[in-house]
Amino acid sequence: MTAAQVRRVVWVHGDSLSVTDPALSACPDAPALFVFDRPFLQAVPVAFPRLAFMYQGVRDLAAHRPGPTELRVGAVPDELAAFAAAHHAAELHVTRNFTPDFARIVDGLRAARPDLRVVIHEPERLTSFDGPLRRFFGFWKKVEREVLHGEPAPDFPRRGHR
Amino acid sequence: MTDALRLPPDLPDDQLPRVLGEALTGLYTGEPRLPARAGGRTAGLAALHAWTGEGYAGRNFLGGNVSRLSMYLRHGMLGLREVAAHARAVMRGRERDEFLRQLTWAEFYRLVLRQEGARVLGNLEDPKYPARWTGTLPDDVRGARTGLPCADAWVTHLIRDGWLHNHERLWFAAYLVHWRGVDWRAGYALFREHLLDGDIANNALSWQWVASTFSNKPYFMNQENIDRFSGGRWCRTCRAACPFRASYGELETQLFGTQP
Repeated sequence: MTAAQVRRVVWVHGDSLSVTDPALSACPDAPALFVFDRPFLQAVPVAFPRLAFMYQGVRDLAAHRPGPTELRVGAVPDELAAFAAAHHAAELHVTRNFTPDFARIVDGLRAARPDLRVVIHEPERLTSFDGPLRRFFGFWKKVEREVLHGEPAPDFPRRGHR
Repeated sequence: MTDALRLPPDLPDDQLPRVLGEALTGLYTGEPRLPARAGGRTAGLAALHAWTGEGYAGRNFLGGNVSRLSMYLRHGMLGLREVAAHARAVMRGRERDEFLRQLTWAEFYRLVLRQEGARVLGNLEDPKYPARWTGTLPDDVRGARTGLPCADAWVTHLIRDGWLHNHERLWFAAYLVHWRGVDWRAGYALFREHLLDGDIANNALSWQWVASTFSNKPYFMNQENIDRFSGGRWCRTCRAACPFRASYGELETQLFGTQP
C-alpha cells in the first residue's frame, strides 16, 4: 500500500484551531475530529465564552477545509479511537502541544489502539532556539536577532584558523 | 460505541449559546453566551490585519494600543510567525522591536512548559520573600466586592470580557498574592476559568513571575502606578482606604519584610 492509500484521520485540539495547523495541512482531505474533553471539563472550571470561542474556531476551519470535520463531547482517547475505527484509519495525525494533557491523551490512545499509527507533527516555532531556559532576558538575548529580522542568528562557531 | 454527544460544525452564532450550552451541560461555569470577541482564524486574521501597532509605545497604559491577539494565538487560530511577519511589515523602529519582544514571551513560555511539563503548576523556585500564602480565593475577590474600585473592576473585566490588559493582570495578581496573601495557583485558576487566552504556559508562568517563584523578585505596584497607567480611572473618585498608597520602599517593607 502506498502512502497515498493509507487511510488517515486528524485530531484537532484546542491549540490547533486553524486550517494552517501542521497536521490539518498535511491531511487536507482526511476526516478531522475535535472533542470537548468531558473528564477534563468536569475537573477544571472553564467559563462558557471560551468554549464558544473554541467552537467558533472549529466551525471556521470546518468551513475552510475540503475534508469533513466533526465535533463531539466525550473522553478524548475513546472518541479518537472510535473515530479512527469508523473511518478504517491506519493513521491518526495531530500537532503536538506541550501540555501534560496532550501526552496523557496520546498515551491513552496508543493503549486503546496499538495498531493505529499516531503521527505527531511539530508545532510552528517563532525561533529555532533549543537550549535550556531559565529567564526571559537570557532567552531574548539569544533569539533577538532571529525575531527582529526573521532570520536565524549566525552563532555557529567558525572552523579554521581565523 | 462511545457515549459521545455529537454537535453540528456549522451552528450560527444566534443558536450557539443554546445548542452548545445544552450539549455541554455541567461542563462549564457561568451563563452560556457568546465570547466578547469572535473565535476562529477568519476573525483572527481580520483582527491582525486591522491592527497597525500605531501608538504601541503607550502599551502600558490601559488605553494604549495593544494588539488583543492573544486569544487567537493561544488557540492556534493565528501563528506566532505570521503575527511577527505582520509586525515587521507594518510597524517601525522601537515600537516594532518592543512588540516583537513581547510576542517572544509567548514562545518563551511554551518552551518553558516543554522543558518543565506539569512542574509549572507548582512553585518552580522558592519565593524570594518569606511568603505565607493561603490556598483559597476569597469570596469578596471572586465576587468583585473587595471595596476597592480598581480591584473589583479587574475581576469584572475578566469575567465580562474574558480579557484583561497586561497591566490589569499584573496589578490583580500582585494584589491577590502580596496584599491578600493568596497562593498564586488560586489566581491562576480564576484566570484560566475566564480568560479567552487562558492556558497553562502563559498563565501559570506569569503568575509565578509575579509571585517570585519564577523570577528574581516579586512584582508589585503602588497607587501612583495604578493612577498613572489607568489615566486616573479609579483613583480620582476613590474613597476607599487604599492599600497601595505608599512609596515603593514603604510597600516593600510592609509586604516583604525586607527589601527582596
